[in-house]
Amino acid sequence: MQYQSQAVAKPYFIAAIGLFVGQILFGLIMGYQYVVGDFLFPALPFNVARMVHTNLLIVWLLFGFMGAAYYMIPEESETELVSPGLAKLMFWIFLIAGALTIVGYLAVPYATLAKMTGNDILPTMGREFLEQPLITKAGIVVVALAFLFNITLTVLKGRKTSVSLVLLLGLWGLAVFFLFSFYNPANLVVDKYYWWWVVHLWVEGVWELILGALLAFVLIKVTGVDREVIEKWLYIIIAMTLITGIIGTGHHYYWIGTPEYWQWFGSVFSALEPIPFFMMTVFAFNMVNRRRREHPNKAATLWALGTGVMAFLGAGVWGFLHTLAPVNYYTHGTQITAAHGHMAFYGAYVLVVLTIISYAMPILRGRAANSERAQVMEMWAFWLMTVAMVFITLFLTAAGILQVWLQRATDTPLPFMAVQEKIALFYWLREATGVVFLIGLIVYVLSFFAKGETKAA
Amino acid sequence: MFFFLLFLALTFDTQGVLPKRDHRENITDAVVRGKHIWERNDCIGCHTLLGEGAYFAPELGNVYKRRGPDFIKAWIKGQPTGVPGRRQMPQFHLTDQELDDLVAFFKWTSEINTSNWPPNIEG
Amino acid sequence: MSDTQTLALPRNPPGDLAIWFFIFAELLAFGIFFLAYAFARAKNVELFNQSQLLLNRESGMVNTLVLITSSYFVVRAVAAIREGFSQVCARWLLGAIGLGGVFVAVKLAEFHAKFAAGISLHTNTFYMFYLSLTIFHFMHVLMGMVILGFVAVKARRGGYSADSHTGVETGASYWHMVDLVWLILFPLVYVIR
Repeated sequence: MQYQSQAVAKPYFIAAIGLFVGQILFGLIMGYQYVVGDFLFPALPFNVARMVHTNLLIVWLLFGFMGAAYYMIPEESETELVSPGLAKLMFWIFLIAGALTIVGYLAVPYATLAKMTGNDILPTMGREFLEQPLITKAGIVVVALAFLFNITLTVLKGRKTSVSLVLLLGLWGLAVFFLFSFYNPANLVVDKYYWWWVVHLWVEGVWELILGALLAFVLIKVTGVDREVIEKWLYIIIAMTLITGIIGTGHHYYWIGTPEYWQWFGSVFSALEPIPFFMMTVFAFNMVNRRRREHPNKAATLWALGTGVMAFLGAGVWGFLHTLAPVNYYTHGTQITAAHGHMAFYGAYVLVVLTIISYAMPILRGRAANSERAQVMEMWAFWLMTVAMVFITLFLTAAGILQVWLQRATDTPLPFMAVQEKIALFYWLREATGVVFLIGLIVYVLSFFAKGETKAA
Repeated sequence: MFFFLLFLALTFDTQGVLPKRDHRENITDAVVRGKHIWERNDCIGCHTLLGEGAYFAPELGNVYKRRGPDFIKAWIKGQPTGVPGRRQMPQFHLTDQELDDLVAFFKWTSEINTSNWPPNIEG
Repeated sequence: MSDTQTLALPRNPPGDLAIWFFIFAELLAFGIFFLAYAFARAKNVELFNQSQLLLNRESGMVNTLVLITSSYFVVRAVAAIREGFSQVCARWLLGAIGLGGVFVAVKLAEFHAKFAAGISLHTNTFYMFYLSLTIFHFMHVLMGMVILGFVAVKARRGGYSADSHTGVETGASYWHMVDLVWLILFPLVYVIR
């Protein structure tokens, strides 16, 4: 570790992994409810489990991004963090607020929670992914501002690199677009229109900048390739991301009451959205092939390459699969969407956060890389989780195709629930692969406790 | 940047024509209340509305046309069905007034011009 | 030094490599847009043909000539800087920017006439494409003018030389791309029936 203040990243990474475990457990519960509908009912209705599953995902990724920023920025800026104390304080505030929110979801009915937390003053709850109570949303804004303040001032007082600028741009964008979560007009169409400014412009916009910066940082470190080369790639990738991603938002504006020209704009621009992801894959492999040294942390390299490939498959290929308006007409809101969502989030964001954790965590624990044994376990975890996710995606895609076939693209459509029963086999298969994913995750967690010889940092 | 400007321009144009497609003149107080009822019970956590939400339970953007007001109210009142192994919907204890508001919201939603989506009444 | 460079085989793409990624991406975006146009037209040939008749082909023609000429000016600018004539280069670039201004003025007049006639993105599919494509291209012209402007100012201050003028080539490449797109757009949208 080059700078003392980088150490604040550690609790963020640990919290991220902890919440990740929680997310997967709830995912398994939901997967089971898909086939045994009354499982845990009424103690844990599906909508509550889903809220916990998706919110935990978002929160742990945010923990991961923040931890990554706290780790990277001092090293990139070649200076200590402006206020490590503030970073620690914000960690506890965010963790406690997050935990309280989850407890709130689980302990009381959602409507009661809404009432308790003053949703009547400014109703923002009950919209997908933005279910958090008003005070939690406000808390997120406070934490984000304190975090950005800390990071931005550090960058300003130190060396300014492309990696840190791209990261800053991404993080500021994340905060700015989150503000749209407070806007909830009575008109559902307008509501949905701007809801996507949070959701789409996050995951297919500014988060991709964060992703690019994290990946570039790790590649610079593990491959030893010239910074100039990597930065040029980074610039091209983020330019492509913004060119395609911003107007690509249009692929959500096909069927929600917005004008029909969005079918053209959405299709054209989002058809180009796989390009930046493809470039990321090429970039990652290219840099690793041109490496100038053999970094002892082989696991980190594997995660980085995995990010490139899986992000391209999940976000690029599976996204393209149903992004064209005539296709989306039939697939909109089916299991195809779920398949894409799972693999894209895993491939792009889960993997990139695990990449930076894999690279940074050994250093934070005082060694350049983990022992051989720990790395082997980590790689096993990578393959178990990744292969499981591929199969989850394939089974959901199969379920989705059947669903479209039986319920949408037919002259004799069956009702929703009748179709769900017919495709239950795929949900069973999905649940089984979900268990494999959990095993991979357990191996991953255990790898942190594996003993063995290590080299000093 | 330039693409963001273009996006803003399209947003501006969209805002201009939306009233013709969403029939906002029909958003009564009941519809507004209905939307809040929809939100504070987290209906989107199981159902989709105009294709967005969770995929655990049926699409409700066109439920007004598929089932009609009386069925919807009776259905919500009758939950959970308690059929073993079947997906269950919680009992939300809505008053008659609240049920009417929710139905008003579904009615308005079903009249949005969604470019002919969903492909058929089953959603 | 400059001799060996001019005698050497043409270097692969002139200008900064990054601009070529951009150009590739832009051409792809326009390309897909053109394909979408062709697709939409095939489904509704009648409507497209009728609406097309109402376009102002004269102004389109003028703009085509203007852009081709401006591209020629840019070529002269690059040729000048390769000989090391900064001021000549800057003057050719200013000429190209001026022609860009003419294009913009003609286009604005055309848009004004269309909007005055009550045409919008929602009139019909043809006009949706006509307006989207031309406005999209129009913004690229403005962008190109800004880029050429920066290059011209730097050239005037003597910021480039016969040996080092990647910036000029980069700007020129972008401008040629903008011109090329128009050369496809004009026949496709205004003429071909």
